[in-house]
Formats: sequence, structure tokens, C-alpha cells
Amino acid sequence: MKRHVFAVLVVLASAMLTANAQAPDSRSVPRTPDGKPDFSGFWEHPQRPGAAFGATTFDKAKLPPFVPGGEALFYEPRTGDPRHDEPRAFCMPSGFPSNLFGPYPVQMVQSPNWLVMVHEYDRMTRLIPLDGREHRDVEPTFYGEPVGHWEGDTLVIESRNFKRWSLDDYYYQDRTEYRMHSDALRTVERLIRVDANTVQYQITIEDPKIFTRPWSEDLVMRARPEWEKVGLFEFVCAENNRCPGGNCSETLPGR
Amino acid sequence: MRLPSAIAFIAFCFTTSTLQAHHSFVAEYDGSKPVKVTGVVTKVEWMNPHIWFYVDVKDEAGKVVNWGFSGGSPGILQRRGIPRSALKAGDVVVVEGFRARDGSNNASGGRVTFSDGRQVFTASSEDKTPGAK
Repeated sequence: MKRHVFAVLVVLASAMLTANAQAPDSRSVPRTPDGKPDFSGFWEHPQRPGAAFGATTFDKAKLPPFVPGGEALFYEPRTGDPRHDEPRAFCMPSGFPSNLFGPYPVQMVQSPNWLVMVHEYDRMTRLIPLDGREHRDVEPTFYGEPVGHWEGDTLVIESRNFKRWSLDDYYYQDRTEYRMHSDALRTVERLIRVDANTVQYQITIEDPKIFTRPWSEDLVMRARPEWEKVGLFEFVCAENNRCPGGNCSETLPGR
Repeated sequence: MRLPSAIAFIAFCFTTSTLQAHHSFVAEYDGSKPVKVTGVVTKVEWMNPHIWFYVDVKDEAGKVVNWGFSGGSPGILQRRGIPRSALKAGDVVVVEGFRARDGSNNASGGRVTFSDGRQVFTASSEDKTPGAK
């Protein structure tokens, strides 16, 4: 009898270990008619597993060593002018990846040749081609140019052609450290839909003007099917931006 | 739904903190200057990036001063179950928040209490809430 109980416990324990391993569960992953994992639906922004809901920032402990001069590029000195120190308060864009890491919903719509990723904040829209095309030779932008391809069931999105801009929201945690990326930024995102409720989201940051080597963060996006009903809301920052840079008085005439 | 996902979902439902707004609370409001007023709502601007609502408040001399309070984004509030109709002109409210750094009669509106005791949390939850740890 004792041996029987022990055997049952071993089976239970191994089942629990399997469940926690986050191995892709091919049976529960929705697929498109062409057999690819389907990322369509509503998702929370990429977050560290188990973290409190909020903006995701890069872990300082993971940052690689700087190249000579890299630190000065990374920590942009603040000038006291809010238009420089916090451009988003003036409705300038957050840029990528900062925007995607903000705690607003993300809707994804997938077709054979495109993945459309829309983030509610500023209605940021990423149009990610999946048809095998190469990056274009375009002027640098705040959100960069994403191009996707499949490696088995993993969707790999490589982005480049970035304008120098803020990397993340870390300066809300530490006002003395305003992190910028350079125009040499290249990001590689790897998305795996491990089950019906979860996308494993890994992002690798490569910025050779600042860091000696690339580094990665392993995050997750959790499915929120209940958001489907109301969908995303419009977000036009300039509509009623009342206190840009902390100056409320100037902007509140005739209320 | 696997157990870890279920726990994460339940935890999310009870988490009201650290939602990010478009601005920095720290840059615009002074967390060491709480303000609490009672008055009549004169106007609600249910607009991005933050809702604003205005409250006529009588000061000690009987003079009416119009205060402006900012809250979360309309999308975040609606998804949290707070509709546009939650706050209307004419409502008598107690508002607790933190004053704008520029010293104007503007503040973050962390907590709104109606005359019947109902409470509506209007701030973006990255903003400091009066009385919150």
C-alpha cells in the first residue's frame, strides 16, 4: 500500500514539474489556417514573470559593460528643461521598446504576411511584415523598423533604424538616471505562444555604440480575452494635455 | 487555465497600483503637499491623456475657488469599470490629492468621495493616493 501511495506521489510530482516547465503545449496553442501559432487577441504588455503590474524596465544588474564613451551616451544628463528631460509629457512619442513596455493593453492581429501589434498608449501601431522581406534603407524613427520571420513556432522580430531616444521608463524610478539608446540600437524579439494564456517574450538589446555585448530580458505576455469585448480605447495625447512639464497655470485658460 | 495563470489573473484583478500615466507624477505634483477639498463638480473633461475635473470650493472667507484635478486615462478607467457617468457636474464631492508643483489650484485627484460615501478612484495608479502606503 505504502509503495502504491509513493508511486502516485511520484506521478503527481512529475506532472506538476511538467506543468511548470513552460514547454510549448502544441495542443492548446491556437493556430492560423496555415499552421502557424496565432498571436491574435488581447494581451498584457511584456512583463517580468511575477512582477507587480506596472511599466517594465530593464534590469540594471543585467546591463553589460559600456564601451568607451558608452556610459555618457546611455545616461543622458538632465538639463532641467522638461521639454528635454521628459518629452513624453509634451506628447512626444515613447519610442520602442519603451512604449510596448507601458502598462496598457496590446492587441495583436495576424495574417500570413503581417503581424499588427497595437498598444493602447498613444495607439502605437507596429506593422510587422512576415513575408520574408529585408529591412529597408530608411531614415531613423522613434519606433524603428520591425521585420519578422518564423523559426519553427518562434516568431522572431528584428528591429533597426532607430532614432536616438529614451530606452525605457527607468527615470520614473530614479530621476538621476535617464537611459537613452543610440541610433545603432538593434532589437530582436522572440515570441513563443507556450499555451492558450501565455506568450513567452524575449527581447535582446544590441547597441554597440553603448554596450560591449547584447543582453536579453525574458518576459511574458498574458492573454486577456475579456478585453476583446470593449477593445482598445483611443489615446490622443495632445487632446487635453493640461500640465506639460509640471506647468499647469499656462495651459488652463478658460476652463 | 493553469494554476499559475489563474493566480496571476486573480492577482491582477486586485492590483490597483503602478499603472503608468503618460506623465511623471513626480514632475507635476508634490507628494509632500496633500490637498483635501469639498465642493461641487463644475466640469468633467473625459479626455486623454488624463481626465480632468473641476470643483468649486469655498475658502474660509467664503470666496469660491475653482480647483482642477487630474485622473487616469479614460481607457484605463473604463476598463476598471469606472464609466464617464461616474462623475458629473453638480455632484458634491470630497477630493483628496496632491498639489501641482507650480502652486496653482491644480492637483492630482487621487480619491473622490461622494456625499453618500461612495468612493471613486480616479488617479492613474502610478500617482500617489492620499493615505496609501
